[in-house]
Amino acid sequence: MSELLVVEGLTVTFPTTRGLVDVVKEVSFTVGRDETVGIVGESGSGKSMTSLAILGLLPRGAVTRGSIRLDGVELLGRTDREMRRVRGEQVSMIFQDPLSSLNPYYTVGLQIEEMYRAHRGGSRKAARKIVTEALTQVGIPEPERRASYYPHQFSGGQRQRIMIAMALVCSPALLIADEPTTALDVTVQAQILRLLAGLQRETGTGMVFVTHDLAVISTIAARVLVMRRGEQVEYGTAEQIFAEPRHEYTRMLLESIPRIDDEVAS
Amino acid sequence: MARYLAGRIAGLALILFMVCLFTYLIFFQLSPDPAVMICGKTCTPERIVQIRTILGLDEPFLSQFRDFLVGLFAGRDYGSGANLIHCPAPCLGYSFQTSQSVWEMIVDRLPVSATVAVGAAVLWLLAGIGAGLLSAVKEGTWWDRTLMGLALGGASIPNYVLALSLQYVLVVHLQILPFPSAVAFSDGPVLWFQSYLMPWVVLATGYACLYARLTRANVIDTLAENFMRTARAKGLSPVLTMRRHALRPALTPITTIFGMDFAALLGGALITETVFGLNGVGKMAADSIAKNDQPVIMAVTLLAATFVVVGNVVVDLVYTGLDPRVRIR
Repeated sequence: MSELLVVEGLTVTFPTTRGLVDVVKEVSFTVGRDETVGIVGESGSGKSMTSLAILGLLPRGAVTRGSIRLDGVELLGRTDREMRRVRGEQVSMIFQDPLSSLNPYYTVGLQIEEMYRAHRGGSRKAARKIVTEALTQVGIPEPERRASYYPHQFSGGQRQRIMIAMALVCSPALLIADEPTTALDVTVQAQILRLLAGLQRETGTGMVFVTHDLAVISTIAARVLVMRRGEQVEYGTAEQIFAEPRHEYTRMLLESIPRIDDEVAS
Repeated sequence: MARYLAGRIAGLALILFMVCLFTYLIFFQLSPDPAVMICGKTCTPERIVQIRTILGLDEPFLSQFRDFLVGLFAGRDYGSGANLIHCPAPCLGYSFQTSQSVWEMIVDRLPVSATVAVGAAVLWLLAGIGAGLLSAVKEGTWWDRTLMGLALGGASIPNYVLALSLQYVLVVHLQILPFPSAVAFSDGPVLWFQSYLMPWVVLATGYACLYARLTRANVIDTLAENFMRTARAKGLSPVLTMRRHALRPALTPITTIFGMDFAALLGGALITETVFGLNGVGKMAADSIAKNDQPVIMAVTLLAATFVVVGNVVVDLVYTGLDPRVRIR
């Protein structure tokens, strides 16, 4: 199986008032076709920066070194213009808070449609059909009518479904999900995870799943990268990391998950 | 929608009624005796009594106020017999100074004030929003710093200083503009434009500086929104990202402020009109205050209040069309 995404020695540096700070240090991992790789870590561990680096969406001033290859093609060092063809078309991304990630002033239909048309062109009418299909795929009832609704008219779970529909509308090879379930209720979380896993099986999209929640990772990822303070702490298959974590930090993370068979402290 | 509008109009009527009541109370009860003012220098006590009767000043406050309100909607008569003067609705009384119908004075001068307000508004929207946008997009560069420095300076210059400086340089010294006067458009578009140019610029300067800072702040806030990151992650072109995703959220709140500012200006730009000697509602207000011409002061106050209150409702209605999250129930 050839690898879809190969990240090697990725380092992201920010200039600050106290000099240069590496927010991501020498991170390496690979994502196979239709494979899910989880990136786990606490806040500030550099997991979001790693995913933004893949799309070239880091804040201004950030310097990236190393190598990010998609289908064997180097992404680092490309111009913004070249990266625009990668974004959405080959790699798309969904974010933590679907309400603020959707523009409140436009219908969800338009927001999906504009993405499709930016990459594939075509008439609005043709795009509207694609939008309906995309919304059906993620389980939005009455998709044709709901396409003319605004983001605030949906529930949190539905909004994340819309983000997923949007991310997949151009059938990208890789989907980056940055904490996609963190802002959702636990029951909705499970639904969204099931949807993502199902769609991934169906479409054969590779996925990078970023989260701070090891419990979520265990249900969805085949391989896991554990990060802390920008550094790669551990990288291996999910079974291996959950069964025999080699690093002290991974063990701590695992122990921080409340278990149902834990004795209640008296 | 109909129910909402009815509610808003009822509220509007109540506010205007209160404005009427308070201005009437202040101007007619607390200021010097109008009869003495109208009577002038050569005056007899009998004449004063006569004037009081004609104006109804001998009646208690509430019935005077009632007559005023009735006059506003149905017209009223002053005096009786051969001396009867009918004041058609909307009756705002007659100027103590010139005996002109106050309503006619307003109808006469409102176009001047409207011309000043509309021209200035176009200027300040273009300049303010343009500068604000440029500043926001080039945040932190010398473009940004220069523009915001200018905006701070411009907002700090008093209207009349700017007006007199411009007049001195452009009219007196360089002689490239005629002295401003209320020229009608039908007198020739070029002369009309030249006459109003300075008042527009002077009035627009302060607003443009304020709007530039507002626009800059709004655009910078919007650019930091999560949905802007989404737009970039979707691979949209920078132009589309900016035009569609940033501008609308950033500029919509400015509608509110613009509605208020513009409505207030329709009630007359007092300083600008006075400095340039333009016979608008603002100058009328200034003159009437200087001469204690009570019916005119009242009318100008009412007019300004009406514009502001109606402007408020219009802004709210327009807003429902601009922001899909705002809906009328």
